[in-house]
Parts: sequence; C-alpha cells; structure tokens
Amino acid sequence: MKRKSLAILLSVVMVVAGCLAGCGSSGNETAPAQTEEESKPADSDGGTESEAEAPAESTGGSNLEESLALFDEAVASVMTTDGHPMLAPGVTFEVPAAEGTAEELEALDDSESAKWHYYEHLDWDESQDAQFPASPADGSKGKHVIMIVHGAHAWTTCFSEAFEQACEAVGMTCDIYDPNWDQSTQDGYIDQAINEQPDAIGVIPVSADHAAQQFKKITDAGIPAFCVNTTVNAEAMNYVMAFTGPNDWYQMRTLADSLGEAMNGEGGVAYITHNVGGSPYYARCYGPLTELAEKYPNIKTLDIQSPGFEAAAVKQVVADWITKFGDDLNAIVLADDSDQAIGTVEAIKAAGRDDILVVAAGISKQGAELVESGDLYMMSYQSCQGDAGLAVRTMAEYFNGVDISRVSYIGTDVISKDNVADFTPCQW
Amino acid sequence: MSEQINNNPNPAKVDSRKTEINRGIILFNKLGIWVIVVALVILGVIIAMANGSSFFGASNVQSILEAVALQGMVCSGLIYVVYAGNMNDMSIPLTMAMAGMMTVQSINLGFPIALAIGVLSGVCIGLINGFMIGKLKANPIIWTWGFNLLLSGIIRVVWGGKQLYADSVAADTEYAQNAANSFYAISRTYIGGVISLMAIVMLVMFVISWFIHSKTSFGQKLKLVGTSYEAARFSGINCTRVVTMSYVLCSTAAAVGGIFYAALRKTASYENGTGYDFACLTCVLLGGTLLGGGQGSVVGTLGGVLAYGILNNILSWVGLGTYTKYAVQGVVFLAIVWINTYSERKLGKG
Repeated sequence: MKRKSLAILLSVVMVVAGCLAGCGSSGNETAPAQTEEESKPADSDGGTESEAEAPAESTGGSNLEESLALFDEAVASVMTTDGHPMLAPGVTFEVPAAEGTAEELEALDDSESAKWHYYEHLDWDESQDAQFPASPADGSKGKHVIMIVHGAHAWTTCFSEAFEQACEAVGMTCDIYDPNWDQSTQDGYIDQAINEQPDAIGVIPVSADHAAQQFKKITDAGIPAFCVNTTVNAEAMNYVMAFTGPNDWYQMRTLADSLGEAMNGEGGVAYITHNVGGSPYYARCYGPLTELAEKYPNIKTLDIQSPGFEAAAVKQVVADWITKFGDDLNAIVLADDSDQAIGTVEAIKAAGRDDILVVAAGISKQGAELVESGDLYMMSYQSCQGDAGLAVRTMAEYFNGVDISRVSYIGTDVISKDNVADFTPCQW
Repeated sequence: MSEQINNNPNPAKVDSRKTEINRGIILFNKLGIWVIVVALVILGVIIAMANGSSFFGASNVQSILEAVALQGMVCSGLIYVVYAGNMNDMSIPLTMAMAGMMTVQSINLGFPIALAIGVLSGVCIGLINGFMIGKLKANPIIWTWGFNLLLSGIIRVVWGGKQLYADSVAADTEYAQNAANSFYAISRTYIGGVISLMAIVMLVMFVISWFIHSKTSFGQKLKLVGTSYEAARFSGINCTRVVTMSYVLCSTAAAVGGIFYAALRKTASYENGTGYDFACLTCVLLGGTLLGGGQGSVVGTLGGVLAYGILNNILSWVGLGTYTKYAVQGVVFLAIVWINTYSERKLGKG
C-alpha cells in the first residue's frame, strides 16, 4: 500500500514539475547583451582609467597573438544589456594615508571619514605580500578558470551569465560554483577548485573575515587568486593577485554630494542600511553619512535602521519615521533600490508626503522605474555585468602578460530622471 | 467531657500548598494575548504622546496594519497546521514564492485567471504536504523542510534563478499590460484612501479562518485531532482528511500572502517569503496556540500578529538600534510565551 502511495506521490511531483517546466517560457528573460551597434556612450566617473600596457614579451607565440586579437575584439564588441562595454577598463583611485593606527581610528566618531579608512580603502602592507605565480604570458585563449560566487540571487545569475559570456569572448572556459551563502560550502569549493588545478580562481567571498584563509590556500597552491565584487581586509589582500569590483564608498559619496546639494545643505536624513556587518553596510551607510557631515554640517542624521530587504518591513520603519520626525525628515538614503526603495516610496505616498528625497544604491529594474517616475530622486550606477566583465578582463590581461593593477574598480555614475534612459533596460 | 484521642498511627497530612490562583493569571488565560496587545497599545500611546504625536493617528494605525498584513494572511492558515499538532509548515516560504511565480508567469491569461492559478499552486502544495503527512505519516518538519528545498530547486531550474516582472512577462497588448498593472495595484490600493487592501484581505481571511475553526464540523474534528490523534481516530474521525485539509488551508493562505508579496515588491522570485515560516510561527505561538496542538484560537492568532506589529512600531518610536530591537523583541516574546505556559499550567490545562 505504501509503495503504491509513494508511486502516486512521485507521479504527482513529476507532473507538477513538468507543468512548471512548460510554464517557464522565456518571457522573463533578461535581454541578451547588445551588439556594438546598439551601444550607448560609456559612463563617466571620478577615477582614473587603468590602461592596459602591452605584454612585455610574446613568449606564447600564435596563441598569445590570437588571444590579444580576441581580447581587443571582445572589449570593443561585448556590451552589457544597458549598452555599455562589458569589458571596460577598470578605474583606480589614490589611497590616502591613514590618520592613525586602526585602534586610534576606531575611537573616532562615526561621522568622521577617517574612522572608516580601512573599511573604505584597500590599504595593505605590500611588503607582506605572498609570492604570486608569474603570468604565463601565453595568452588567455584556452585557459580555464573557476569562479566561486557567494550565493544564489538574481544578481548572481546575471553576474554568472555575463562572466561566462565574457570568458567565451576572450577564449577562456569557466566553471561557476555557487555555495548558496554558506561559508563552509564555499570553503569546500575552494578546496575542490584547487584540486582541479585551473589556470585561475576567482572568489566572491561570503565573509570578508574568512577571506584571508581562502585566498592564502589558493595562492599557496600556486594558482592566481582573484577577489571579485566584495572587498576584503588588509590581511587577505596579501594573497590576492587582483581585486576587481565596485567602489561602493565612492559611489555613495558621489550620491550624497548630489543629495546634499538638492537639500541646500540643510535638513534631516535617515538611513536604511544593508545587512549589518558586510562591506555594503559600511559603504552605503557611513559613506554618505560622513560625506554629508563633512560637506554639509547643517544636515542632521535622524536615525539609522536595518530592517532588511523586505518591502513591508521597510515600509513600517519609514512610516514610523514620518510620524515620529514629521517635517524634520527631508531625505532617506537606502542601501538598495528594489525592495527597500519600494517600501520607502509606498510609505511616503501613503503619508501624502512629496517633499522627502530618496536616494539609493542601484541599479535594478524596480529602482530604474522609480527614478523614471520621480519617486526615487537619484541612485548610483553599479553594473552587475560590468563587474563580471572587469573580472574576466583582468584575468585575461594576466594570462596575456599585461601588467595588471592590484585594485581596479568598475565605472559608476549618478542616475537621475534625466539620464535613466542611458542605463536601461536593466541588467537584472 | 473526655478528650478525643487520636489513635491513628498515620495521621492525614494537611496539604498546605497554595490553592488560590492569581487573578492576573485567570485574566491572562481568558483574554490571552489581547492583554499584551492592550498593554502595548497603552505603552504606544504614552510613547507617542511623549514624542508629540498620536498613536491612533490614521498613518500610524495604517502603518501597523500594513506591516503585519502579509504575515497575518499566512498566520490565518498556519494556525490549522499548528493546531493539528504538526508544529510548523516549513514549506511556507517557497509556497509563497511559487504562488508569486505562477501568478506572474500566467499574467497573459488575465489578472483573475493568473490570481486563481497562483492560489491553485498553493492548494496543490497543501495537498501534497497533507497526503505525505496525513496519509503516509511523514515527519511534518522533515517533510515540509525537504519539500521547501524541492520547490526551491524546481523554481530555480524552471526560471533559471531569475526574477519575474509582471510587466516584462506580459505580452505587448493592452489586455496583458492591464493585467500586470492590476497585479501591481493589489498591494497599493487604499480603500477610502485610508486602509490598505492588504490589511482588509488579512482581516477577511481571519474572519473566514475563525468561521472554519469555530463554526464548522471540520473545526470541531480538528480540535479532537489536535488534542488526541488516537482518540480522534478511534472516534471514527477521518484524521487523514483533517490533517490534509489543515495543510491545504495553510498553503492556500500562504499562496495568497505570496501573491500580495510579489505584487508589493513588483517581482516574483524564489527569495520571496524567506523567513516567513518562523516569523509566522512566532505570531501563532504568541497568540496562545500550543506547538503540541489542540489549544489556541484564531482570534488569539490575530492578537499575536497585532502584538508583533505594535511592538515593532513602538520600538521604532523609541528609536532603538536594530540589534537592541532584536534583543527587546526576543525578551518580550519569550515573556509572552512563558506567561502563556505558566497560566495554562496553573489552571491545570497545560
């Protein structure tokens, strides 16, 4: 009897799965990356573009020549969904000197930029760097890389697809491992990747605290380790061949400048943060907070809350702020332009307030729509596909024997109602 | 008068233990979570006054109701599973996600049909859960947890780990685009410009849930099944059917919540509903329902949901940081559950 029941159940599950598979047509799919003809002008930013230098010597013969040709073609032709070059060169920034030891800085007030020096800048002691494997300088074509992401998310899906596309364009193959936000699973994947002996390993660390151990393992195994997207601490950087990703602090500072200007340097600001403790938490909260405190001392911080990424929870926090602070609440800074932005905008609309300026870290489809409708005043541009593209570009340059920058950031921009069309359709 | 002589070698000992029951305990046992709700409201009024505002202001009441609307919808169904003695439905998150995905995916068929398909997906999930747990006696926690994983895998494989946007899925026709807009509107509609449709749906679901629980033969059978499964079985009650029905009601409520959730965030995704399994269980337990089943009420569950929302509201007013908020919430919830258990024990019900 039980066997019969189990058989019935399995049949039901299979039928349901089959029906679902039938439903899953391509209506939702992200638009494919554009061709060169459809591309739009590249974004502007405040950093310095790190131009690739020609390989020192062509030891790889024809493979290197073919790789260089492929690379040039890929840089020129592979575009993101929103029409920007996917393999655009990275941007570098000057790292200012720290105004004290880490302990001394920790004692400073939260509103002082200097306190966050080691959070904001990848500032490490290069004399402690590990012995990195030398570039084979024989071309990216035919190289195999393993990319270990942090976890399943729509952003990660977009990143992974772009990474595969960019790898293919420069003649590389790749495997992508997804530990689903689990630290021990990611550690296991690091070991597995090392055993497979790929030509390079890229990692988006689940936790910055754990990253030093992970990158040390990879580098000790003689495999070049690339840190992608998420910044790590100084100790980990000693084992990282190169970091590529967004400069969250710079993006949010730029956004804060625009906000402060729009507020005429006066008023009250409240902050909804990213998940507490991660690098986006500090960058997207204390980046704008310190920027406003420095440049617009008459702008007050009213509150900082971390309700997560559920629109309903954010809505309640913002509705409570509106009731509590009344007219003193003039602006809200968000760490996310999708759920947090939706919850915030809905609360503001429900309260009948149209004078509160909302800015957010972007860019998602929901966020772009809110900017278009004027509900979101501004947001930062952070390209998911560009993030993947820069990682692949840096790896390819390494294989091609080009000198690579240890730290390079993807380009950014401030998106407003006036220029939002230049950044759509959104990537995820 | 001669003196009485007690020749009994084992005189009966007088039970000197306290038999009086504290009135507060009796009151709490009768009114349950509503005592806490009233206390929180009084506290809220005081704190709001101290901040120069009104706790009963339309915007504040609206904020509280909206914040708990989605949880409330799910709780109105989850109580059946807990009441039946099956502790929790761990597949709630992916039931919500699946309902959102199915609704958005079928948006081209028109808004009412898409809505029906979304709800139907919840019914199907409830039937599978009910069959496995009611009929095949699978462990309710292990099965629903495993089924949650299976659903997660199915959604990720079928839709490639992507988010679904109703306006993108909708064909470029007026009919389909209107359907997408109607879908987005359900979480943004205010009746009379004051009370949100989500809050009204939640309250209606609680009324229906209360009716089913209190006024139908299914509700009566559920009480017996939750109190003593074996006694119910020997009484001739079809326990399998009752348990299956409890899961169907739970998953249907979760599906409705999932549809509103997807409409609110304008995106259907496998992440929708994350954390709702335990958040909703917390509300149900706060409402006085016992994990072991057989005790609790729909009205109490509504009280649990409101207590959750009002406490969050008050903590925002006070201006506590996120970590401190978590700590205070934890202490308050533990205290409520302890008072619940204590009063039940004192009255010999626990």
